Amino acid sequence: MAEVGYALFLIPGLPLLAFLLISGIALRPDRERIAPAFLIPALGGSLWLSVRALVAVARHGDQTAWWPWVYVGSISLDFGALVDELSAVMLVVVSGVSLLIQIYSIGYMKGEIGYGRYFAYMSLFSGSMLGLVISDNLLQTYVFWELVGICSYLLIGFWYRRPAAAAAAKKAFVVTRFGDLGFMAALLVLSSQRWWHFQFGQLERLVAQGILAEGVVAALALLIFCAAVGKSAQFPLHIWLPDAMEGPTPVSALIHAATMVAAGVYLVARVYFLFAAAPAILFVMALIGALTLFLAATMGVAENDIKRVLAYSTISQLGYMMLALGVGGYTAGVFHLTTHAFFKALLFLTAGSVIHAVHTNNMWQMGGLGRRMPITAVTCLIGALALAGIVPLSGFWSKDEILSAAWFSEVPGHEVFCGLALLTVFITAFYMFRLWFVTFMGEARSAEVHGARESPWVMAGPLVIFAALAAVAGGLKRIVPGTGHGFGELVRFGEPHEAISYLVIGLSTAAAAAGIVVAWAAYRARLVSPAAFNARFPAVYALLKNAWYFDRAWELFATQVVIAGSAVAAWFDRHVVNGMVDGVAWLSGWFSRRLQATETGQVQFYAMIFVAALVAGLVAVFGRETSLLDLLRLGP
Amino acid sequence: MMSIAPIPIQPYLVVSVLLFAIGVLAVLTRRNAIAVLMGVELMLNAANINFVAFWRYGGGEQMEGQVFAVIVITVAAAEAAVALAIVLNVYRRFKTVNVDQINLMKG
Amino acid sequence: MIASVWEAIWQSFLAGSFWYPLAFVCFALGTLIPAALVALSRNILHSALWLLPCLASVAGLYLLLGAELLAAIQILVYCGGIVVLILFAVMLTHGVGDPDMRVHNQQLVWGLVAAIGLAGILLHLLGQEAWQMGPWAPSGDVTARLADALLRPYVLAFEVASVILLAAMIGAIVIARGEPEG
Repeated sequence: MAEVGYALFLIPGLPLLAFLLISGIALRPDRERIAPAFLIPALGGSLWLSVRALVAVARHGDQTAWWPWVYVGSISLDFGALVDELSAVMLVVVSGVSLLIQIYSIGYMKGEIGYGRYFAYMSLFSGSMLGLVISDNLLQTYVFWELVGICSYLLIGFWYRRPAAAAAAKKAFVVTRFGDLGFMAALLVLSSQRWWHFQFGQLERLVAQGILAEGVVAALALLIFCAAVGKSAQFPLHIWLPDAMEGPTPVSALIHAATMVAAGVYLVARVYFLFAAAPAILFVMALIGALTLFLAATMGVAENDIKRVLAYSTISQLGYMMLALGVGGYTAGVFHLTTHAFFKALLFLTAGSVIHAVHTNNMWQMGGLGRRMPITAVTCLIGALALAGIVPLSGFWSKDEILSAAWFSEVPGHEVFCGLALLTVFITAFYMFRLWFVTFMGEARSAEVHGARESPWVMAGPLVIFAALAAVAGGLKRIVPGTGHGFGELVRFGEPHEAISYLVIGLSTAAAAAGIVVAWAAYRARLVSPAAFNARFPAVYALLKNAWYFDRAWELFATQVVIAGSAVAAWFDRHVVNGMVDGVAWLSGWFSRRLQATETGQVQFYAMIFVAALVAGLVAVFGRETSLLDLLRLGP
Repeated sequence: MMSIAPIPIQPYLVVSVLLFAIGVLAVLTRRNAIAVLMGVELMLNAANINFVAFWRYGGGEQMEGQVFAVIVITVAAAEAAVALAIVLNVYRRFKTVNVDQINLMKG
Repeated sequence: MIASVWEAIWQSFLAGSFWYPLAFVCFALGTLIPAALVALSRNILHSALWLLPCLASVAGLYLLLGAELLAAIQILVYCGGIVVLILFAVMLTHGVGDPDMRVHNQQLVWGLVAAIGLAGILLHLLGQEAWQMGPWAPSGDVTARLADALLRPYVLAFEVASVILLAAMIGAIVIARGEPEG
């Protein structure tokens, strides 16, 4: 459709334009307050265009647009936009969630130094994330992938004067770099196959026609999965996400819950045809997803900082999405991405609301906030229930699809993964309600609580909207408004299929309920004492409190292994590379010294050379079949 | 009145070649710079014999052979004068005419 | 080669005209043997002196070939001028020089090889052709024809040669004068 055509570029273009305008106009302290006035309408426009694109896709099929970029020899690259069902849904989610969070930010960041800078970075991020989603080729996706990484760095370290924030930003960037190397390596592998287009449609055809060797496809799949592991904070590259909570809470909500970390899941879904052709990598994905979801949930249990609890929760839920994709539940994974965006953003915003009122992150300094901040408490409860997976909230529907997919999958070990996921449902419910009970129920534990007031409507409004979304998004399974299809018919890989195991659904509901009950027993009704529990199992407590010592392990790796490797590389550079250069110089000198022997400075030597050359020349030209006797003959 | 030559041309040419070779030997192997110059004179004379021989055995009508020989003698004389002047100068400077010792251009 | 030369000599001897080949042999040997002595003589003065008979014999060869003016020029210029010049130079440099300076440098062997090689290849080339014997026109008015050639078709070469002599003379004076004393 021509009218949608170039308008597609506006979807990321509007926020990027807002970035330029804010950077140019609204960074001075006296003009900072108008910064959101650029971004909010831009995001509104993006959202509207995304919705129209979604409707257009459902009615008319994939929408594309492109603009020529580089044509060199056999390489032809274009700026391209591809909107199919997957990216359309993603665009709506990203732009919608971004819009609500930016409205919330107006209230949250009010009075902060760097207000204008905040919105500038946020608009750059929004534009980059939308650009990432809408890209139609792998190279362009990589460009935006790096851009969102930069924005994440800038926003985590927003309060850059705080050493903890600066360190966290650096850590996030370096750790995700490991994953990004995989992305770049994948691009290089593709280039080595002399395939320069990188477009998803063409790649899919390549794989389907078997033009790429099986090993190459598996390598590509693995490398792209590495990129996703980094960006989506999967084990073992998850260590950056908890520290990323140093940034402002809306940043945590938008980037590190709803959108950027979901980019890894999105990328895998985008090139799922690669994974479908490499089942071994799917198994690895399921394995890592399962490990991540379990380990992260256990780490969340021992945290006292409410944002860090939510961070581990995010890692865990991302693990669920990876598991889903690994066992073949394409629709389930993307659906969970959508519902998770809603309820996790909600949870973070309520946490922000609380932090804004009480000026601390530590849940043990809160308590009794339910009475003083009712809207926050209720919306947070809705979000917690959705996360735990209680019917009929959205989380229930998406999580159960994942569990069912794992149950029915043919991936080896799928029963173990399913069991692990079920166990983690219990743990998830437990840590979430631990947080909720400690924060909102009971008596106030510090003075700030007494002065806490409910947040202004600019912050509470988005909370309510998100709560509504978290509650009813399950209905998307049935029908996505405007498209006339259910989620499962729109977003799928291959034929739509629905597999429900009532056994699994029952078990998960029971597990969630059990988790809530145990949390209530421990933290509300004081029936069970956590302190006593910790005393009886000190090793377990230490393990969880230190997040399974992953940080320490990585630190050892960096200092021992990496530095040792660098020493080897340095030796090589000094001796081999420098040696070669010096060797060339030495060789020149050697030749030169040898040739000096001919420069005797004696004229007769040179004259000898003349004569010798003359004789040699004459012999060469005229001296055929000559014998000594011929020399004496002067006649023919 | 044409008549036949008393001897063929080859003997003259042989003399020329041998004289030239002797001149080359002197140029290449003598230590004294003046001896080298003497070798050069020998070579020039060998060339002249060649010219005149061909002039006579080519009919004797065209004078180019002799003309060339005259010019060669002239230039040889000029060259000998200048060269010996240079040798005198070198002798003054280096106190020797031993070509082995005049090797400032070495290296 | 030896066979055909000897044949010619024998024929001319039989034909009665054997003076010519005899004269040729004398002049040829008179050229080559003193030349060898020039190249090989131990004493530089002796080398210079042996140049004299060598160049004079070359003049004799010119006579046998009928180039009378050229022979005269050879005697005057080479024997009378250049040899004298060389003797002067020998006198002026030899006195204070190294008395026991070795005659030949370290290239002697290679020089011999080069000279012999050169002679060899050139002689071989000579052997390839069938040179003709005649025609042997009488010399007649060679001098007049030479003078005419020098002053009409080749007058430029003649004049340039004079200029060269002038330049050489001036140059030699300048070079040989060296730095003015005092």
